[in-house]
Amino acid sequence: MLRRLIARPEFGPFILLALELFVFWAINPEFLSPLNIGNTLAFTVELGLIALAMTLLMTSGEFDLSVGSVFGFTPVLMWTFVNGGMMPMEIGFIIAIVTAALIGLVNGWFVTKLKIPSFLVTLGMLLVVRGTALFITNGFPQRTWDAGGHWLAEVLVGDFYVGPFRIYMSLFWFIAAVIILGYVLNRTRVGNWIQAAGGNPGAARARGVKVDRTKVALFILCSTLAGFAGIISSVRTSAANPNSGMGYELEVIAMVVIGGTALTGGRGTIIGTVLGIFILRVMRNGIVLIGVPGLAYNIFIGAIILGMMALHSWLERRHHAGT
Amino acid sequence: MSEPLIRMDNVSKFYGRIQALENVSFTVNEREIVGLLGDNGAGKSTLIKVLSGAVPLTSGSIYVRGKKVEMKSTTDAIAAGIETIYQDSALVTQLSIARNLFLGREPIKGPRFLNRMDDEMMNQVARDLLKQVGISKNIPPETPIGSLSGGERQAVAIARAMHFESDLIILDEPTNNLGVAETQGVLRFVRGARDSGHSCIFIAHNIHHVFQVVDRIVVMRRGKVVADDIDPKKTTVEAVERVITGMSDEELAHALGPNTH
Ligand SMILES: Nc1ncnc2c1ncn2[C@@H]1O[C@H](COP(=O)(O)OP(=O)(O)OP(=O)(O)O)[C@@H](O)[C@H]1O
Ligand SMILES: [Mg+2]
Repeated sequence: MLRRLIARPEFGPFILLALELFVFWAINPEFLSPLNIGNTLAFTVELGLIALAMTLLMTSGEFDLSVGSVFGFTPVLMWTFVNGGMMPMEIGFIIAIVTAALIGLVNGWFVTKLKIPSFLVTLGMLLVVRGTALFITNGFPQRTWDAGGHWLAEVLVGDFYVGPFRIYMSLFWFIAAVIILGYVLNRTRVGNWIQAAGGNPGAARARGVKVDRTKVALFILCSTLAGFAGIISSVRTSAANPNSGMGYELEVIAMVVIGGTALTGGRGTIIGTVLGIFILRVMRNGIVLIGVPGLAYNIFIGAIILGMMALHSWLERRHHAGT
Repeated sequence: MSEPLIRMDNVSKFYGRIQALENVSFTVNEREIVGLLGDNGAGKSTLIKVLSGAVPLTSGSIYVRGKKVEMKSTTDAIAAGIETIYQDSALVTQLSIARNLFLGREPIKGPRFLNRMDDEMMNQVARDLLKQVGISKNIPPETPIGSLSGGERQAVAIARAMHFESDLIILDEPTNNLGVAETQGVLRFVRGARDSGHSCIFIAHNIHHVFQVVDRIVVMRRGKVVADDIDPKKTTVEAVERVITGMSDEELAHALGPNTH
């Protein structure tokens, strides 16, 4: 029983997170204050939404480097339309989200139809999308404070207090995504196809599984959620900055692999990703709080990634050696 | 006699300028295990790749129960009841036995839009099937394929072919890299498949293994079928070896040297 538990890919990340929380709290009890928890959660769910979608995409054997730029571009597009008085917020939102979905469709099409590795396709897309965001804004942020009080803004990131905790609506979007995507991956036919597509695409195709269609759908999901997260972030921070989301793609991929999803595809875990999301976010927050210079942040993140990869590969090899 | 299950008629296959199959005619009858023998490069794998839709044929035709069938992809072949089992390649190591058995045909439980797999049903069927193909150990159907031995993986693939009513199960060198006990296991699965009404094409370099299970032996040499009706009960391993190498008695004796036998 205990051995089964330890053999699960989520076990390592779970221990690491618990350890992190304890160490930061022991050094600075402020770390678990309602204010700090509320702030950390708000950041976390925005990146988290992307990481959840990326988990499914990576399980199917692909990944997407353009999510950070889509995160920046989608709100810029929406607010350019809305601020220009061209359309109401609802329409701007829908057009922006559909555009994000189309970016995913193009990624998927290049990868599956033209058989170009997702690394190259999405790297190219990253530059195109970021470039477009900078071009249409001349590099200046779009203001979004008109959104205040609009029902759509309230639904996306309206905040309220539960006791001393400031909670944003985006937390519920994140929880919904965890439940839905976890269910899809583990319980549904589509989930079986996602795993088979990443594990052995040839075998999956031979059984009639629509491998390419599955992957395209996941590219669309990834881009759409990245755009959605970008819009949430823009409303929360009252600005749509064409530069925002820079470097997010790598942080998101790091969250996913730390959680135990295989970079090579075939195996993925939503619970693991949730743990991975918190491990990196808590680290970022805790380091600052205990007084380590923010510039040293990457040293810790890098060390965590290396350590977790070593742990996962050790578990994997021990598993294959037989029990 | 009635139509055979599979009939390949004058099939040729070129890989660029290399001719791998030359006017091959080949049949498999209902409930028959055919052993396909031949030296390296004789064209055995090419023959079954054509039959399983993995590569297109250059000319000739394929009939299933007398009906002409175009094998444009492995999906076409599977739809026609032809299932090919390569070591490993047909299974997803990360998925469980049960989920591999039903891959692409997963049963749904509850409302359709929820798309929920019926894991209980899949596990139950998997348990029964594993028993049926004669896996002696009690392996839970939730076990990932990655932790099974080579022979057990073959058994899962055979079980899958049996469950989905494939008429013809093709095994290309299924006993390669297998130990003695595992090999016997695979041979038993093959016999079990025939006993429940399936036909098989069995390719192996070890003629002794072929002799243990097949009803009829077909020999290929340099892309041609050189013998297609050898009864393993009425001949010897040595005689079949001679047909495979294409040597006369003296040539073979010379090649083997004076000290063998
Ligand atoms: N993809 C390919 N491209 C070009 N030539 C090929 C290809 N596959 C096979 N051949 C050639 O076709 C011929 C028959 O090969 P095939 O694999 O069918 O032989 P085989 O009887 O299965 O041999 P073995 O016992 O070694 O598996 C060989 O000369 C081989 O070199
Ligand atoms: Mg071969």
